[in-house]
Amino acid sequence: MTRSLTLVLLLAAGAAIALRWPGLDQRPMHNDEAVNAVKFGQLWDHQGYKYDPNEHHGPSLFYATLVLERLTAAPDLDHYTDARFRFVTVLFGLALLLLLPLIVDGLGRNGVIWSAVLTAVSPALVFYSRYFIHEILLVFFTFLALVAGWRYWRSRRIGWILLAGAGVGLMAATKETFVITLVAAAMAIGLNQIWNRLLDASGQPVKAAPVNLWHLAASLAVCLVTAVVLFSSFFTNASGPLDAIRTYQPWIHRAGGDSPHNHPWYFYLQRLLFFHVSSGPIWTEGSIFLLAIIGAIAGFRRRKLAGANASFVRFLALYVFSLTAIYSLLAYKTTWCLLSFWQGALLLAGVGSAVLIRTARNRYWRFGVIGLLLAATAHLAWQSWRADTTYAADPRNPYVYAQTSLDVFRLVNQLEGLALVDPGVHKIVVKVMAPEGDYWPLPWYLRRFKQTGWWDHVPEDPFAPVMVVSAKLHAALDEKKTHLMIGYFQLRPQLFFELYVQRDLWQEWLAHKPSALLPASQ
Amino acid sequence: MRFTFTFSLGLALASSILIQSVGAADSSASSGDKVPLILKLPSPAFKGTPKDIQLSSYVEPLSDKPRPPMMVPAGLKNIAPGAKLTCSDKNATADTLGKIVDGDKEASEQSIIYLRKGTQWVQMDFGSPQEIFAVVLWHAHNSAKVYHDVIVQIADDQDFLQNVKTIFNNDQDNTSGLGVGTDREFFEIHEGKLIDTKGITARYMRFYSKGSTESALNEYTEIEVYGRPAK
Repeated sequence: MTRSLTLVLLLAAGAAIALRWPGLDQRPMHNDEAVNAVKFGQLWDHQGYKYDPNEHHGPSLFYATLVLERLTAAPDLDHYTDARFRFVTVLFGLALLLLLPLIVDGLGRNGVIWSAVLTAVSPALVFYSRYFIHEILLVFFTFLALVAGWRYWRSRRIGWILLAGAGVGLMAATKETFVITLVAAAMAIGLNQIWNRLLDASGQPVKAAPVNLWHLAASLAVCLVTAVVLFSSFFTNASGPLDAIRTYQPWIHRAGGDSPHNHPWYFYLQRLLFFHVSSGPIWTEGSIFLLAIIGAIAGFRRRKLAGANASFVRFLALYVFSLTAIYSLLAYKTTWCLLSFWQGALLLAGVGSAVLIRTARNRYWRFGVIGLLLAATAHLAWQSWRADTTYAADPRNPYVYAQTSLDVFRLVNQLEGLALVDPGVHKIVVKVMAPEGDYWPLPWYLRRFKQTGWWDHVPEDPFAPVMVVSAKLHAALDEKKTHLMIGYFQLRPQLFFELYVQRDLWQEWLAHKPSALLPASQ
Repeated sequence: MRFTFTFSLGLALASSILIQSVGAADSSASSGDKVPLILKLPSPAFKGTPKDIQLSSYVEPLSDKPRPPMMVPAGLKNIAPGAKLTCSDKNATADTLGKIVDGDKEASEQSIIYLRKGTQWVQMDFGSPQEIFAVVLWHAHNSAKVYHDVIVQIADDQDFLQNVKTIFNNDQDNTSGLGVGTDREFFEIHEGKLIDTKGITARYMRFYSKGSTESALNEYTEIEVYGRPAK
């Protein structure tokens, strides 16, 4: 790797850190983040981890978090912060940049540089790198498998194919949708081979020895061992590996249409290319899309590729197109799923940027093109910053999906204030009631309250010093005048909770409330 | 550095004393007659990704029961359009404030005015004392939300120093500092919030709010005040 390439990659890494690191605590935990945090908490508290084939995806996120927490001497769960969890996914988001130099003979030097720059600032990549869910891990392990696979294709060294096998095993242990990635990759390899043989034999990579079947078998073995070790929770859950296969029954059911997450085919493209809701800003990553198209066209035409390998670029283009098509055609869609194909598009966009620079007639044009690319980069970085700060929990942000409202902080602060004036402090009894268990992420935020009960209905005896009740239940628990309904709190858009407090406890709080404990919006 | 070390040492000593005293309290509690009651309560059930709900221009009312009619004397009219309007947010112009009494109660952006963060008020001067029987208040019903610290007061002077009376207050934690409220919070719906003012006499009326469950900003769509000149 040349000194200039190293320098640019370091700068890109600096920008990536600057956009991913600050304010990791500002956005309240999403339902799914909180579920992951509580599940990790069980592992951290030596209660173990057991893969659930019906929901919540694979074990890799929890074990990766465990490794990091062990290395950094994490506190007990009561003293964890949201930021500590999100730091794990930030690291995986940053690690994508580390892998890029390994495909410098695939994307070309400038292609790698611009891919790194665009990966650093892409709002989608930045936003979901700060999200304690499985998606960025899936993207990282996919890229690891791709990079290692490419290196093996170039060198035929067994170490690379073993690493690729481990990458696929980790993909499997991360999220069930890894099969979609494998299908798209297989389609792209097949179509690319057809193209190479029929239309552009000269575009094949360097002539390499035939693939060694023993190498393939060894890679498959590493893949299986990796997956089995993780799904079996390090050989403590015998049913885990079988559950990893059984899981496709409920997931296929959902993908087939029986889900609240059904959206039209253009759902992902709309969020990436042009998204505007009421008085919110206009969001677009259209510049990346355009550059990716240019990169793909250059790959198929084999012209002005600026050091990129035509066959590799064509494979990428076919892979990104296949993956986008499959995700778009499936009825089931959640915004973060777009990350899988968008990371591929970022690689193509890097090639597209290099092609544009190469196409410039003279150095003045070249400066102009570089200036335009830097302007697009700045625009993307600005959108990333807004998505992380002002619009972090705002439904007008295209990457916000069923997000917990900021108002939840007000509720938590209020409950913490009540605990401080109660003699039992965090042993105060809190009863939470919401239909269908729709109270997440409260179990995470109320983890310090050791006597908290959770119901999906109003129980026979609902009364307690503090009751947090979904407004949908129309509980009216203040009718007997023993409790006060002291306000509504928004958990998510159009989902509200009523907070009931025992009258004497409320009066005690009013008499002693320290200003530091005033609700967050004060 | 030295200060930090001294401070840390002091903190550590204080913590150890505190921990010992807590330990002593625990042991005395366990050896006495009373023990803490530990309840067996149900654990939370894990849940998948919830449905995403986008903001829409209109939100259905959360209750399907129609509001019962309020009985008032015949011949009342909405006196708000004739009132002189002022507010605590000096950025709001007279034209902007005029939208609060222009009869437009729609949920669209054009119908709503925005006041700054924190406790803000809008004030009406009816020019002479009025007998007021009802107030209807719309902050913004463009999405499901609840406004905090909604307080309605009347007074005899424009500075609200003389004969101030509170006719509605849901600031139960008194964060706006106008007294502990006893009224319930309410959802913003297309019907507006109807407040029975029971024929109270006033020339000046103030409407306070302090942001909502959705935003720290204060929105106002429309205020109607039904009354007649005081005898």
